[in-house]
Amino acid sequence: MTITRSAAAVGLAAALAGAAVAGCGSSGTSSPSSSGSIPAKLVVWRMGASVASQVTWMNGVVKQWKKDYPQYKNTKVVVDWIPWTSNTTDWTNALTSGKGGPDITEIGNTETPGLAAQGALANITSSVQSWANGSQIIPGNLANDTVKGDVYAVPWFGGVRGVWYNKDQFAKAGITSPPTTWAELLTDAKLLMKAYPGTYGIGAPTDDTDAIVSFIWGAGGQVAVQKNGKWVAELTSPASEKGIEFYADLLRTEHVSSTKYIGETEIGAPGTAGPGGAEEDFALGKLDMYIDGPWAEAQIEQVSKTNESQWSSFPIPSQNGPNPAPAFSGGSDLGVWVNSKYKAADWSLITVMDSVSNATTFANSQGFFPEFTSQLTSPAYSSSQLMAGFAKAAGYTQIAPLNTANWATADTGKYNIIPTMMKELESGANVQSTISQANAELQTVLNTGSES
Amino acid sequence: MADAIQPLAGPRQSQQGGPGGWTPMRTRLGAFVRRHKLAPYLLLLPALAGIALVLLWPLIQVAIYSFQNYGLPQITGALPTQWVGFANFSTTLHDPLFWLSLRISVLFAVVVVPLTLIVGTVVGLMLNRLGRKMSIFVSTAALLAWATPPVSASVLFYWIFSPDGGLVDWALSRMPHWLVGSTDWAQYNWATTGALPAYTLIALLVIWQSFPFIAVTVLAGLKTIPAELNEAARVDGASPWRIYWRVTFPLLKPIYLVLLLLSVIWDFNIFTQSDIIASLSNLNEYNLSLYIYDKAFTFPPSYSLGGALALIFAVILLVITFGYVRAWIRQGALQ
Repeated sequence: MTITRSAAAVGLAAALAGAAVAGCGSSGTSSPSSSGSIPAKLVVWRMGASVASQVTWMNGVVKQWKKDYPQYKNTKVVVDWIPWTSNTTDWTNALTSGKGGPDITEIGNTETPGLAAQGALANITSSVQSWANGSQIIPGNLANDTVKGDVYAVPWFGGVRGVWYNKDQFAKAGITSPPTTWAELLTDAKLLMKAYPGTYGIGAPTDDTDAIVSFIWGAGGQVAVQKNGKWVAELTSPASEKGIEFYADLLRTEHVSSTKYIGETEIGAPGTAGPGGAEEDFALGKLDMYIDGPWAEAQIEQVSKTNESQWSSFPIPSQNGPNPAPAFSGGSDLGVWVNSKYKAADWSLITVMDSVSNATTFANSQGFFPEFTSQLTSPAYSSSQLMAGFAKAAGYTQIAPLNTANWATADTGKYNIIPTMMKELESGANVQSTISQANAELQTVLNTGSES
Repeated sequence: MADAIQPLAGPRQSQQGGPGGWTPMRTRLGAFVRRHKLAPYLLLLPALAGIALVLLWPLIQVAIYSFQNYGLPQITGALPTQWVGFANFSTTLHDPLFWLSLRISVLFAVVVVPLTLIVGTVVGLMLNRLGRKMSIFVSTAALLAWATPPVSASVLFYWIFSPDGGLVDWALSRMPHWLVGSTDWAQYNWATTGALPAYTLIALLVIWQSFPFIAVTVLAGLKTIPAELNEAARVDGASPWRIYWRVTFPLLKPIYLVLLLLSVIWDFNIFTQSDIIASLSNLNEYNLSLYIYDKAFTFPPSYSLGGALALIFAVILLVITFGYVRAWIRQGALQ
């Protein structure tokens, strides 16, 4: 009896080891595609939650596609909604199993180079070159989807982060115009906290790289730059350090942010889809200024519409003004899945989804900006109370190095370098040593994809 | 199946046999099996085949992966699969995060296993003394905690400790500073602030969920101890403390050894709770399970690093098991 028990224990240990990697399966390589044939159905993976207005928009697109390409009149287009928080898992599962994947997928623009490097996307260089709209796309954003000279996706819509605030709160606190320098931002945060006791001035969540980089750039610093084909991390440059320290000091020394945002994303606990955390607090009036994009509107509304008429925005200020800090140019791309059997049909549908008029309609309805230079200057944005600040921020953008192949590894996945650094700083760690450790780690990961 | 096995069951089995040419062969086979005492092995065969299929083959695969650079680019064919020798193992052993998460896992087990055993024992002893109705009430309540799915329990504890209206933060923020320190408890984020608060919360959760099993097992053990032994000790004037350590504990030792091993393996392996509460984004709150999951499956996945880690993990658990079996033999439990 006792012998059996210990044998069982050994078996148990082995079972646990096996379970740790259960789920790794092998799969065959994809068969060559017959890209000319007519599909019975096309699967489009969209990110986020299904929203009625987006479904209506997609129905219109499919209708137009069947009109423009009559050969696909019997093809069924199926849209699957994938939560942003699990999209990499779903892509991975589709690749490892070799089935259940999409034909077309939406991709966060920082994810595109990494996903292409994993071999998940079809090379669409020649299609893009002969695409009339291609030349209208903001050139930097198309470059983002290019890996080693080959194009793997096309930009669909874009978005920038700015600072959300309530107009009436600014008025009551005696703030006449939105801040354009860090000093003003801090002063205003304190004025707001004085006018609204029990609230916090501005949220500084640590797991929010896309906002934090604006403070690095806003002081004239860089996250990393490319020199002779290699990435050199620059978090330790005096300007970058100033930006990092300012953000951390919002909590550490100035106490205008809350300790509960340590370890959180702007929408709450990591891995959740929000609303929560700073976003929820802003909606409830517990947080006076909140950094996020205009797309947050849907979720903020979900929590509370009480202040809807007062919602406004301004660009994240640079250290000394008057121009805003460069905002991280986020957004989504559309790509053709490597295992799709109908790549010609996929591309034709993408061109309809991403036509100037369709993409612009879509972006406008969701709080995003179109990717076409001609549309971005439209007065519709600057005249909207909520969108004006974001539209201004959209004029000062940067992506690199958030679009390098190894960025996903460095930032969101295995190393989470900037969030971890910021978490340590806001928890009171030594500034110099914490930043220089993150800097060394970042440089290695950007260049090699791992730490050693 | 039963028909084929029957002749193997023993010499007393009658061997009348049926019609047809099968009978002599079956008899000969039966004789062969009996002569070589193969029956137990034949009976084990189906189970062994099953284990080989679902356990052994994956283990071999894992071992193969761990010496390669196997990830998505190799699956999609973007890059070739290469043999990399011990590179995955050396990467792991040189990663400070590996050692941090190992330390968190070990410390967690070192703290939580004894606490679980103590709480479980105390409740077990209490259950043994309670009247029937009360005993049923307490054990039902405790077993409900045990039966709660870890995911629900984690979410529940996350809420209780949440700075957004959680009971604990609310209560702490209303206590005087001399009692609870000057921390701004209303804004205190147990889950994400750091490893210590996160694992304090997880420890409470794990103890709450695992003590009932210990209590019920200890109770079952207590029921087997003859009442005369305790009585005799009491008559001799021994205190309850002394009775427990001199009479009860020695008799329950085999049970405790099993509970100890199971608890160590369970608490060393905490994944669901730490995934929900500490989350995969807070690197300084990784335990070994989160670390392995992150290396193996977080995008971009590396099945090779995951494989190497699984092997390292298996070795750690084998060491624990080995030490445990040795202790068992030394204490004479295997006689």
